[in-house]
Amino acid sequence: MQSSLRKVFRTFVCPTRGFKSSPASCHDSLFVHRDSKEDNLDVNFEFTPENRKRADAIISIYPEGHQRAAVIPLLDLAQRQYGWLPISAMHHVADLLNMPKMRVYEVATFYTMFIRKPIGKFHVQVCTTTPCWLRGSDEIVDCIRKKIGADVGGTSKDGLFTLSEVECLGACVNAPMVQINDDYYEDLTVQDTEEILDDLKNGKKPRAGPRSGRYAAEPAGGLTSLTGEPTGPGFKVRPDL
Amino acid sequence: MLRLPFSRGLPCVRVVWSAAVRGTASNPAPEKIEVFVDDKSVLVDPGTTVLQAAAMVGVEIPRFCYHERLSVAGNCRMCLVEVEKSPKPVAACAMPVMKGWRIKTNSEMTRRAREGVMEFLLVNHPLDCPICDQGGECDLQDQSMAFGSDRSRFTDIHHSGKRAVEDKDIGPLVKTIMTRCIHCTRCIRFASEVAGVDDLGTTGRGSDMQVGTYIEKMFLSELSGNIIDLCPVGALTSKPYSFTARPWETRKTESIDVLDAVGSNIIVSTRTGEVLRILPRLNEDINEEWLADKARFAYDGLKRQRLMTPMMRNKDGELVVVDWEDALIATASALSHAQPDEIAGIAGGLVDAEALVALKDLLNRLGSENLVTETIFPMEGSGTDFRTNYLANSTIAGIEEADLVLLVGTNPRFEAPLYNSRIRKSYLHNEQNVALLGPKINLTYDYEHLGDSASDLKKLVDGSHPFSAKLKAAKRPLIVLGSQQLARSDGAAILSHVQQLAKKLSSSAEPDWKILNVLHSNASQVAALDLGYKAGTAEIRQKPLKVVYLLGADEGTISPNDLASGGVVIYQGHHGDVGASMADIVLPGAAYTEKQGTYVNTEGRAQQTLVAVTPPGLAREDWKIIRALSELAGYKLPYDTLFEIRDRLDDIAPHLTRHGEVEEASFLDQSVELSKNIASSFDSSPIDVKQKHLEDFFMTDAISRASPTMAKCVQAVLKQKQSKYYEGEV
Amino acid sequence: MALNAACRSSVLKWISSPKLNWKAGAPLASTVGKQSERGYAVDPTKTLEKTSLLHAEEKEVVVTVKEIEDLSPTTGVPEEHVKTRLVKIYSPSKNPMQSGTHNTGHWQMEFDTRERWENPLMGWCSTGDPLSNMSLKFADKEDAIFFCEKNGWRWYIEAPKTKAPKVKSYAHNFAWNKRTRTSTK
Repeated sequence: MQSSLRKVFRTFVCPTRGFKSSPASCHDSLFVHRDSKEDNLDVNFEFTPENRKRADAIISIYPEGHQRAAVIPLLDLAQRQYGWLPISAMHHVADLLNMPKMRVYEVATFYTMFIRKPIGKFHVQVCTTTPCWLRGSDEIVDCIRKKIGADVGGTSKDGLFTLSEVECLGACVNAPMVQINDDYYEDLTVQDTEEILDDLKNGKKPRAGPRSGRYAAEPAGGLTSLTGEPTGPGFKVRPDL
Repeated sequence: MLRLPFSRGLPCVRVVWSAAVRGTASNPAPEKIEVFVDDKSVLVDPGTTVLQAAAMVGVEIPRFCYHERLSVAGNCRMCLVEVEKSPKPVAACAMPVMKGWRIKTNSEMTRRAREGVMEFLLVNHPLDCPICDQGGECDLQDQSMAFGSDRSRFTDIHHSGKRAVEDKDIGPLVKTIMTRCIHCTRCIRFASEVAGVDDLGTTGRGSDMQVGTYIEKMFLSELSGNIIDLCPVGALTSKPYSFTARPWETRKTESIDVLDAVGSNIIVSTRTGEVLRILPRLNEDINEEWLADKARFAYDGLKRQRLMTPMMRNKDGELVVVDWEDALIATASALSHAQPDEIAGIAGGLVDAEALVALKDLLNRLGSENLVTETIFPMEGSGTDFRTNYLANSTIAGIEEADLVLLVGTNPRFEAPLYNSRIRKSYLHNEQNVALLGPKINLTYDYEHLGDSASDLKKLVDGSHPFSAKLKAAKRPLIVLGSQQLARSDGAAILSHVQQLAKKLSSSAEPDWKILNVLHSNASQVAALDLGYKAGTAEIRQKPLKVVYLLGADEGTISPNDLASGGVVIYQGHHGDVGASMADIVLPGAAYTEKQGTYVNTEGRAQQTLVAVTPPGLAREDWKIIRALSELAGYKLPYDTLFEIRDRLDDIAPHLTRHGEVEEASFLDQSVELSKNIASSFDSSPIDVKQKHLEDFFMTDAISRASPTMAKCVQAVLKQKQSKYYEGEV
Repeated sequence: MALNAACRSSVLKWISSPKLNWKAGAPLASTVGKQSERGYAVDPTKTLEKTSLLHAEEKEVVVTVKEIEDLSPTTGVPEEHVKTRLVKIYSPSKNPMQSGTHNTGHWQMEFDTRERWENPLMGWCSTGDPLSNMSLKFADKEDAIFFCEKNGWRWYIEAPKTKAPKVKSYAHNFAWNKRTRTSTK
């Protein structure tokens, strides 16, 4: 998100006066809470009975007196239930673990995967770090933007898709790639991307993983090493030894 | 061939060696270990940090995040020093020393490390020193001069890449300029550890990290001002003091706070005739390095509602300005026209021992024995005859040694915030347990609630309460009795029960351990009782009073209706409060920053305030007014100078002139013996405390009631309580 | 302010009993200190209990008596500023606003505060007290006491209340069984 924002700024800020200015590199989400229509204390959040059971199971893992260690899994559970993390969900987790609210805010703001503002049903995270970028992530980003009708950081009108630009997600071998919710879609072309988004829109679940026909991260052109039988002892050893 | 170390190859040697190690580990007193700081040898206890070891030989290692009274955070990295044979510099504040270490606090590596840290800190620090209130007493400023680079590599001369953080609103006392924050987290650790209010924290990460409350919220603490002191930069500064003065323009007078009974040591900063701010002064026995908000910020009350000139009520019932001569003559004639038993003196909560003794001597010479304090203390049994009965005998520092604290009808958090912070400190660090008899309140630490009726106290004494077993098991128990409970109609019974409980526990406690503590709520009570004042106005109100001399008595415990017709109320004090408004003659006295006066705190420690500024207008030091009056009344008091009146104090109670020392008292056995005849019936009303909530803390006496800052605090707290984010904490 | 730390002493001849077991100088000096801790200037004539010595046996012992000259009649300081002034001798405490300990550790003397007012001409601070800015620093309190006594000022000492540092450990933040863990910062 950071890098895209920087780019956007760079395009719009023109040197009108005698000095140049570059924006401070800062995150595009706030690190203080502002009450909004969607996010305020009147929003009711409580774990569903099913999730409550899960929460209890998570809490029970931790030793007596150190239950607050469960804060990250519980926040994640809350985010999965609600889609994102409203302040009332943080409070609910704090109450559940009997810890100061501030300590929950700290955790929730530290980790970028906790989303503290409304988000679409599908969170499309495009990697634009160097390997993906070299393999054409820019086209992927453009394609998604057009497809969902929203810019980076924005949400489509139907509330289905939110597009984010992220740094390396660790799938460089299968670049370019996007992460949609929990799934990686790799080895993408523009066409693949459109397909995936269409499927999601129509309620189908596209198959996760590489689109190039590869099984995982093996070489695209077939194996280049370890292709033959393993050599036995004495391989390439001087015969007189 | 033999690759094993020699010792491994010989198992018998190994066994002997490990046994030796076990032997030293079980040794209760570990040996001191020797380390070298800049080649100076120093012997330290195991576990001492590099920074502490350096401090022992007088080498001060620069630091931002480390604070002696807070936990170790180790996040500013300013204290990096070189240790010989270590490839990287170590953080001195967090690293315990090892035997034989050679610490180099001034080596090339150390200096480069400091310079690098300094450079990083300054990259995102604004260059607004000229408009920063911390200027002149800023750690960042000083340390960048001492350890920073002499030139900058920061080429963004347009300052466009600097970090900027929005300011927070955390109340009317602390001003925040968060862009200046260097993330030392001292304020967060203070809030969480000392104040016990987990409202501050860091949000975000990396260069987006900021210190704040996340939601907009006031920092609801009675110790909030201390984060101003702790902040090494100008991110947290004092709102009332903002843009007032630079530290080098002010004069500092070391004095004593009198707004509660703890007697915190303070530094009064003044310029010309004005008190500009009040800071805490280190005293390990009393306030350590902290100061309560009332003591710190109520100083603007010293400039408002002051009595500047003598006044007398005219025929229309209005107070009009008169000369000292007229006022004193009128007072003297009122005193000499009344019968001895028709004269009474009532002392308030802010009066110094010198004025108390002067008034007592004057009234005694006039033949009157009607000298009382406003605050009630039961006079049954041994009453105030034994100091043990009315002192916090275990002392404030002694709280740290106790293993169990029983609070009876007191809320130390607001009655004596620094007393409470000691309990919290011991609760956190010494695993002390606390129990409370009284209303359920937030004390900032967990406690066992034993009920809120006086009958529970009875149960504790006869051992039928479920908590009795724990009390009995305690080796160093401590009972803190709130002075408010003594004002109840059954105050004597409560006191005698607490004494009996203390006596009972002393058999199972360590020998010589003092158990009984009375926590007073005002600064003059102990000195007044030491000097022989009686407590409470009930008794004298029965008498046909003609002249009442109110010495700073502002609690309204007596009204003109209690006087016989034609009675005269004389008020001597510094603020136009309850006392002055009902007085016929007003004599303007000096406030605690304007006189050299002796005060005795709740543990019986005499301390003196010093003159920081002179009294405003025609106001004069209190004992001098009474001395002048005595001459006109025909009973000249035999002291003209401070030295002479201190000699007089010394004659009555020598501890009053031994400033800084606690005069111990241990007559518990005798007072228990004498209290046996007290009727032990209790009221049915539950044990209650007056100051339950934070808004009750700020305005409790004539000075803080006159303070606009304190009024703002009350408003801000009440406003915060309307907020949805308020959760009923205090 | 450079001061000779050792008090000027005069050697007096006293007839003294060896039973009293007085050694030269030291016990007398401590008597001076004790009396003075109460806060009043010492009258040099009172520091020796002459009577108890005169009754003693006739054996000549040399006793060194610390005697402080009072220079106040000759210093030219007005009598008002000698007789009525009270000096506080103290070791300044650390500035609570900063972590540095510079400007502490020495002893300092300061006079009681007299009235100051705002000068109507420039708005600066005025005072009629010639000693208001006299704040002298000494290496130890004995020097300060000696200086005050020599000048005839009454003095008192305010000793700083400090304590040995307690062992601190980063590990306490993560202690498994201590309450210090409850803090997360």
